[in-house]
Amino acid sequence: MANLEQFSYDNTIVKKFAIASVVFGLVGMLVGLWAALELIFPTLNLSIPYTTFGRIRPLHTNAVIFAFVGNGIFMGVYYSLQRLLKTRMASDLLSNFHFWGWQLIILAAAITLPLGITSSHEYAELEWPIDIAIALVWVAFGLNMFLTIFKRRENHLYVAIWFYIATWVTVTVLHIFNNLELPVSLFKSYPVFAGVQDALVQWWYGHNAVAFFLTTPYLGLMYYFLPKAANRPVYSYRLSIIHFWALIFIYIWAGPHHLLYTSLPDWAQSLGTVFSIMLIAPSWGGMLNGLLTLRGAWDRVRQDPVLKFLVVAVTAYGMSTFEGPMLSIKSVNAISHFTDWTIGHVHIGALGWNGFMTFGILYWLIPRIYKTELFSQKMANTHFWIGTLGILFYAIPLYWAGWTQSLMWKQFTPDGFLQYGNFLETVTQLIPMYAMRALGGTLYLTGACIMVYNLLKTAGQGTFVANEAVEAPAREVYVKHKGDHWHKWIERRPIQMLIAALVLILIGGIIEIFPMMLIDDNVPKIATVKPYTPLELEGRDIYIREGCVGCHSQMIRPFRSETERYGEYSKSGEYIYDRPFLWGSKRTGPDLHREGGKYPDSWHYNHMYDPRSMSPGSLMPPYPWLIENDLNTALVPGKIRALRTLGTPYEEGYDTIAIEDLQKQAMKIAESLRKDGIDDEGLENKEIIAVIAYLQRLGTDIKPKAQAGK
Amino acid sequence: MDMKKPFLNKACLILPMLAVSATAFAQDAGAGGGAQTFFYDKFFGTFMLALAAVVILAAIGTLYRLLNAMIKVKQIEIYQEKGLEAYLEEAKKPGESLWSRLYKRWTNVVPIEKEQDVLFDHEYDGIRELDNSLPPWWVAMFYITIAFAAVYMSYYHFFGMGAGSKEQYEQEMDQAEKAVAEFRSLQADQINEDNVTALTDEADLSVGQAIFQVNCVACHGANGEGGVGPNMTDQYWINGGGIKNVFKTITYGVPEKGMISWKTQLRSSEIQKVASYILTLQGTNPPNPKEPQGELYQGETDQPAPDSTAVDSGGGVGMN
Repeated sequence: MANLEQFSYDNTIVKKFAIASVVFGLVGMLVGLWAALELIFPTLNLSIPYTTFGRIRPLHTNAVIFAFVGNGIFMGVYYSLQRLLKTRMASDLLSNFHFWGWQLIILAAAITLPLGITSSHEYAELEWPIDIAIALVWVAFGLNMFLTIFKRRENHLYVAIWFYIATWVTVTVLHIFNNLELPVSLFKSYPVFAGVQDALVQWWYGHNAVAFFLTTPYLGLMYYFLPKAANRPVYSYRLSIIHFWALIFIYIWAGPHHLLYTSLPDWAQSLGTVFSIMLIAPSWGGMLNGLLTLRGAWDRVRQDPVLKFLVVAVTAYGMSTFEGPMLSIKSVNAISHFTDWTIGHVHIGALGWNGFMTFGILYWLIPRIYKTELFSQKMANTHFWIGTLGILFYAIPLYWAGWTQSLMWKQFTPDGFLQYGNFLETVTQLIPMYAMRALGGTLYLTGACIMVYNLLKTAGQGTFVANEAVEAPAREVYVKHKGDHWHKWIERRPIQMLIAALVLILIGGIIEIFPMMLIDDNVPKIATVKPYTPLELEGRDIYIREGCVGCHSQMIRPFRSETERYGEYSKSGEYIYDRPFLWGSKRTGPDLHREGGKYPDSWHYNHMYDPRSMSPGSLMPPYPWLIENDLNTALVPGKIRALRTLGTPYEEGYDTIAIEDLQKQAMKIAESLRKDGIDDEGLENKEIIAVIAYLQRLGTDIKPKAQAGK
Repeated sequence: MDMKKPFLNKACLILPMLAVSATAFAQDAGAGGGAQTFFYDKFFGTFMLALAAVVILAAIGTLYRLLNAMIKVKQIEIYQEKGLEAYLEEAKKPGESLWSRLYKRWTNVVPIEKEQDVLFDHEYDGIRELDNSLPPWWVAMFYITIAFAAVYMSYYHFFGMGAGSKEQYEQEMDQAEKAVAEFRSLQADQINEDNVTALTDEADLSVGQAIFQVNCVACHGANGEGGVGPNMTDQYWINGGGIKNVFKTITYGVPEKGMISWKTQLRSSEIQKVASYILTLQGTNPPNPKEPQGELYQGETDQPAPDSTAVDSGGGVGMN
């Protein structure tokens, strides 16, 4: 053995990310529980804007994805990377920059999202200054990772690291392209793409955020922590190779399955479907390699809570990666889309795969960096059972709710009427299921609290090893052996691996997205579709601020049950001035794409003030502040200029007279409200007027009917 | 001999599954037609051809293996006749159940006891790797999904055989229209604005009241006193009073005034009941009435209802 070099692993950074993951995990789950309860008790927002469902739903998703799982990824990567490469992280400074930068971004998200500062792109809600910060911190992480890889003492990169590399490069690409936006002010921007194109890019991102933030890094972690915890060799090296490359290549294509039966051209929808189906095997490759690694260790699974958590995590991964492709089949999607089925599906992934994997890793890693045993195995087992029960109580009622609601939407009477013509009937039906779901969430959160106590006790009884001393021989120049597997070649070359991964993930993205941008046929123009007036634009931005898109879709699919309920199905040409698109992904309330002219202005006024006065039993929270707040028109000229730059055909110089137009239209709407007996002081200057203007415009461009209030 | 088996399995697996997938996607609502472009035709044409070539090659390979296996069986028979006992013994080798043999073939896993033979000598932080082969059932599943994709894209796009979203919608609407027309033709006479009559039966009116409470009170008030919508207890009507006009207004709506059409949500018999109920509200003088709107309506006549663009509240005649 050559001379051993002395060095140490940095456990402090691992500990920091672990604490952050746990803390934000609790916060994210708590916000989720709150949001779930608001669906049962609509006034639970306590009558303040910052806590309405529309605003805390993105807070919940961002907290769980980027704060809980994100910090969980970094915890696991910083722990495993150093050990797999037999070296300390290249730069403690970069590690800490990464840590503090990421926490600041989370803080910024926690402040801006409740304030309604949002781009409304799901899982990419944060506004442009934060987007830039994310890019910087992410690059610092990548740099640190690669510098560490370069100074490794191992010749070959283990499969976990392939997944880390693919994760890093793909997230970089996704984040940049989905956040191309033109700033209007520090807190407001418009996306470069509009309508269908924006939708396609967003769901290319959204789907691959699931793929490359919630899946590939966690597969990497699985490849390290599962064989370590089981003390068994990985089942098949060849399976690792095939499923890794197939997974990253195929995953990137599957985004359009979020847009089945929408206005996206059929060819793109079909690609989403078939690539999702082809994704089953590569996804299951990971599950197989995980579960089969446990061969000969199953007796220990019964006793060891760490293995229990990992087994359920991998199983949940297998279930949701089979369910996902099934949901991508158009006839299944016609039932599942816009319902709670989707919410149930993602929570099998989030609570089962990501949550349980994180818990398993924490139970394994905390005792090790504190040089002690886990405080209580019994408590960890309790956590396991409560958590598993929580997942079941969460998911099953939501599957039930999804099927119930979808069937109710589609039910016709023999004489041709919608059986449940009133949308609200299909929502109030779900309240018992929502209550069960909240119970499931509570159980899961309780389990997590037990874990926190257990881990705190564990830390308390041990002594933290900030720098874990190790020794290993220096890397020797590699001499090729005969019979080396061909794949070993790229395992010695991190840069080539980075490039290969990049090329593979670009193929699908380019083939799907470029034709949508470049070929006009894909979005047939409609002559009657005109840009929004300044007042409607302001109303739309308030709609975005309030997160209306969290519960209301703007996409009528070509089904009899939808065109009967809402009107003519949506055409891609209607959305060309929509920046961002607001198709939504869940209907807790009805679709609004043909809302314009459906009700009088005063109906909307009263409905916003107190939804239950117009729709008894509604789950929508009241929005009295829209009626109290004056509309801020300071940004109007800037918004018009920005949209003109992006291609919206406002005439030159329109920005200078836009406010005048806005006031004229506001006067008209105020007048129509006064006629119906609503005569607040300064009515025409209130935000509600802009919202009404927008709602009354929706979907009317191709509807010949006159609009109310005009 | 063992290592050849997976290929045989693959063939057995792929063929029936292909048939299944073909019927499965026939039910699947696909896409097609619409905005296809030259670029896509060309690109996918090439892509699919390449894919088809791969599939055909795989099929040929499988057949080749099958042939080899059959030859081997024949060989053993020949050796048997010649009395070569070694081969005889090998061919017999009984003892295992069908299930366990199938399981072994489909998973093709190296037993734990022999694991050392396929253990790579490298290790990463103590993690070792085995060189197990890909599970044959997994490989078969991967091929099947790829074949599914090829067939799906061909069916809906390259050959344009499957209906696109738009065509599917049109088919659905046609079918529904026919079914509804047939159902209605079997029903009793339909009520419309020309033959509708006001009901007076207490039971009908209470049904009408229930419909009113669910659908109308938001705009017209709990007692018909008006609110967002006009007062229905006075004698002034924007679109004409009397059962025929009220029935018509409810059925078709007055979109420019904000009154929606209810014909897709209420049956004509239900509209008749609620309209009849509304007429019973005349002269009930509920609290907080909205000011009269429209024109004074006197009795049911045969004349058509006043034009819906008639006077609105601004020009209405004040009563109180």
